[in-house]
Amino acid sequence: MAELTLDGVSVSYGDAVALSDVHLDVADGEFFTLVGPSGCGKTTTLRSIAGFETPDAGELSFAGREMTGVPPEERDVGVVFQNYALFPHMSVAENVGYGLRFHAVDDPEARVAELLSLVDLEGFGDRDPTELSGGQQQRVSLARALAPEPDVLLLDEPMSALDARLREELRREVRRIQTELGITTVYVTHDQEEALAVSDRVAVMHDGRVEQVGTPREVYREPASRFVASFVGENNLFDGERVDGGVRVDGSTFTVEGLDAAGPDTGGHATLCVRPEHLRRDAAENRFAVTVEQSEFLGEATRVHCDWNDRTVVWRTDSAVPERGAEVTLGFASDDGQLL
Amino acid sequence: MSRREWPGLSADRTLRSIAVAVTAVTAVVLLLVLYFPVGTVFVEAFGGARPFDSFASTLTDPFYTGVLAELFARPFAVGTHLDNVFAWFAGVSVGPDGVDTPPLSKGLFGFTAYQALLSTLASVAIGLPGAYILANYEFRGRRTLRSLTIVPFVLPGIMVASGFYAAFGQAGLLNDVLALVGLGPQRLIETNPLFVVVLAHAFYNAPLVTRVATAAWESVDYRAVETARSLGASRRRAFRDVVLPQLTPAIATGALLTFLFTFLTFPIVLAIGGLELATVEVWVYYQLTEVLAFEEAATLAVLETAISLGVTYAYLRYESAQRSTSPGEGPPREPLFGRASDAAASWLARSRVVRALDARRLAIAGYAVVVFVLFVGPLGAMVLEGLTDGSGLTLRHYEFLVQRQAAGASFQTKPLPAIRNSLLFGVATVAVAVPMGLVVSVASTGEGRWRSLLETATMLPFAVSGIVFGIGLLRGLVFGISLPGGWRFVIAGGVAIVAAHAVAAYPFVVRNVAPQLAGVDPRLVESARSLGASRVRAFLDVELRLAATGLVAGAAFAFAISIGEFDSTVILASDVAGDTVTYTMPVAVERYLGRRFGPAMAMGTVLLVVTAVSFVVVDRLGGRVERG
Repeated sequence: MAELTLDGVSVSYGDAVALSDVHLDVADGEFFTLVGPSGCGKTTTLRSIAGFETPDAGELSFAGREMTGVPPEERDVGVVFQNYALFPHMSVAENVGYGLRFHAVDDPEARVAELLSLVDLEGFGDRDPTELSGGQQQRVSLARALAPEPDVLLLDEPMSALDARLREELRREVRRIQTELGITTVYVTHDQEEALAVSDRVAVMHDGRVEQVGTPREVYREPASRFVASFVGENNLFDGERVDGGVRVDGSTFTVEGLDAAGPDTGGHATLCVRPEHLRRDAAENRFAVTVEQSEFLGEATRVHCDWNDRTVVWRTDSAVPERGAEVTLGFASDDGQLL
Repeated sequence: MSRREWPGLSADRTLRSIAVAVTAVTAVVLLLVLYFPVGTVFVEAFGGARPFDSFASTLTDPFYTGVLAELFARPFAVGTHLDNVFAWFAGVSVGPDGVDTPPLSKGLFGFTAYQALLSTLASVAIGLPGAYILANYEFRGRRTLRSLTIVPFVLPGIMVASGFYAAFGQAGLLNDVLALVGLGPQRLIETNPLFVVVLAHAFYNAPLVTRVATAAWESVDYRAVETARSLGASRRRAFRDVVLPQLTPAIATGALLTFLFTFLTFPIVLAIGGLELATVEVWVYYQLTEVLAFEEAATLAVLETAISLGVTYAYLRYESAQRSTSPGEGPPREPLFGRASDAAASWLARSRVVRALDARRLAIAGYAVVVFVLFVGPLGAMVLEGLTDGSGLTLRHYEFLVQRQAAGASFQTKPLPAIRNSLLFGVATVAVAVPMGLVVSVASTGEGRWRSLLETATMLPFAVSGIVFGIGLLRGLVFGISLPGGWRFVIAGGVAIVAAHAVAAYPFVVRNVAPQLAGVDPRLVESARSLGASRVRAFLDVELRLAATGLVAGAAFAFAISIGEFDSTVILASDVAGDTVTYTMPVAVERYLGRRFGPAMAMGTVLLVVTAVSFVVVDRLGGRVERG
């Protein structure tokens, strides 16, 4: 049985709909991520799970137990916020121990020490939260959320306030701790790269709806919608006409493999998706000539913006890049393209 | 999510029912001791043969409304009114002595507004330079001075009046000093009482203007000034285009508050100007206590309240406009004294820089002298006059107080009961006003229409005069309300006074606590709740703890307001022989002031000491709570 189930959950503020008809199943011990641009409803979903928002419709249950009307303090969830939300008038140890006041624990002090060591902050108990760095404060916040041994851990953009290097370090740490404890975790982020990197499964959200749920690989390789295709990773999207075996765009026909009957009808509208890293100069199929416009050197590769019939084509390459204005012929393997 | 809300309140029935219950109790208290008494006064004003008779006769009486009386009497005779205006302008003559205008009868309301306007202008003129200095210069004691600007506001009005008496009165300090150099005596209070009243009002309100303007100046985003400068604006132009627009709402707020307070002024005018300078408030008091013309007093009170509510509304509008501006870092502060780098500069550059700076610093020094004379002068004079008679230092006046305490007849005003009552009422006021203020703060942290309604209701004690409120309490609750079944509901004596003080004081608790409560990150509460705390527990563990300094500051205000409250206390205080007397220190000062100058000053000094000590005690307490 799923640990956490949302069945048709909707939330609105007056006329504004924040969530409409959201269905999600999160398995026991899973690291599940809600990703999407700001205003997509991912934080509202998390707040509904925590009990801070009351859905207008739908059911929300933990391990089969209906949670509607259950106040946050009786849900056994741990919450970590982006801004840490540490109690400024309490020491680090008091912060971590706060939840233990409401739970029967044999030796609260030992438990606090254990958690501080779990997040690598032994000996920081007597400090004021304000004396710590952002990353340290976020670890304290994580320790505090984990102290009462919650059934579900909810993380609301916990890394967004940290700089890039620290963010990567901390997200590996969070993942390590989550795996160690085997705790069911719902993670909210607007950063699709982060979502792909840490999650067991990802739900991509847009305009208060879930667009696609899947493993990071599925979401990246087989986006279910135009929004997912453009939001997760970089993508080239070409609108064209569905023809037998592929798609016709501006008079050029591209073949795409693995098309099934469920795809767009022949003669109908279709969108071709090709990842920038799948475009190659030495590809044998699906070749088309583009003009180089601008290139950005990224270190391990170069991102090149090209023009093709007044469309922008993004091409990613790790070899030398022709000069601006040069004509290049690119192509892609038919099993790398996808039709929407 | 950008949307802020009261997290999970709807989900928590416990806190809601507690909040509803406590709010209901508070509402009943407010209804009983604020709205009901004020209501009884207002009802009285409509008691004529036809409901608006009394208003018509007041508005058309030139004694009250001056030249406007005719306008109110015949509102549609536009031609006549225009002729009058032209006639007045025709009477203006420009001669060698300047512009000469025909007399313009202002009436009681006109005069009240006129002196309020003068007081406002004086307060802004004296207050603004202070804000400039506090926001732009760094010097030792700047922070202390900045926090001291709140003090005059809570000083008892009657004590300030005594101070100005001690400084400018016939036997006052100024004349003593003038006599030393063979000048004087001046008779400023007798010949130009309006000047002294305006000065006394500036004593109260200039620091208020300084306070709000400093706060605004310190939160101006100076990167905007630097941007303007880099785009080619001169220093002066950048000030006019960037800084000034951000200061204007604050100055308007300060000016409107000053106008409101001085429009409702009472003890200062009563003590310094007397009936000759009567404002509406003083006249209401006079009508009530001397002439016993209740309906007339009530009518005046309603008109007065209508005007002050209008000003309050304008004030709230401006204040909210001010709150919406984004906070910045404020100007970089320049040291006020000495610049080590000047010494190293070349002679030419140094002399030019030093000369320019000296002109500015000289002006600041001059301003400091004015401030010292205006603020320290009256209080110093009061202390000094309490310790001197015509011939030199003496403890005679204090001896008088001691003797009066030991041997005074029961109908005489004794010092010890006054001190005891003031302290007792002060403590009781804190005990009532702090919980009241806390509840209203919690309720007003919500959203929407409910909130602005509450905010206005909270401000009502500012807009209703103490006299009106005192009369209402007296007529409504002290005399008693008949209940069915032959019962009478009566609140009298000390309880009535504490009720009056608490109602006057609780808005200050709200204004200290509500911003702190509103500033608590809702995620702190959510964190506490997800960790297992109920809504009530989260409120106690998180919000209340984080608003503790506001609560302590609110308590200090409540205490100071109670100690200094005069307007309604003077109406409610009784000293019926045999009964427990309920007069307070300010009332005692006023009673002595009429007959014995020296002892009044001595009593005023005692009041000053008690007020100062209580402030220091609460300040220390506040410091401890803050650290703990």
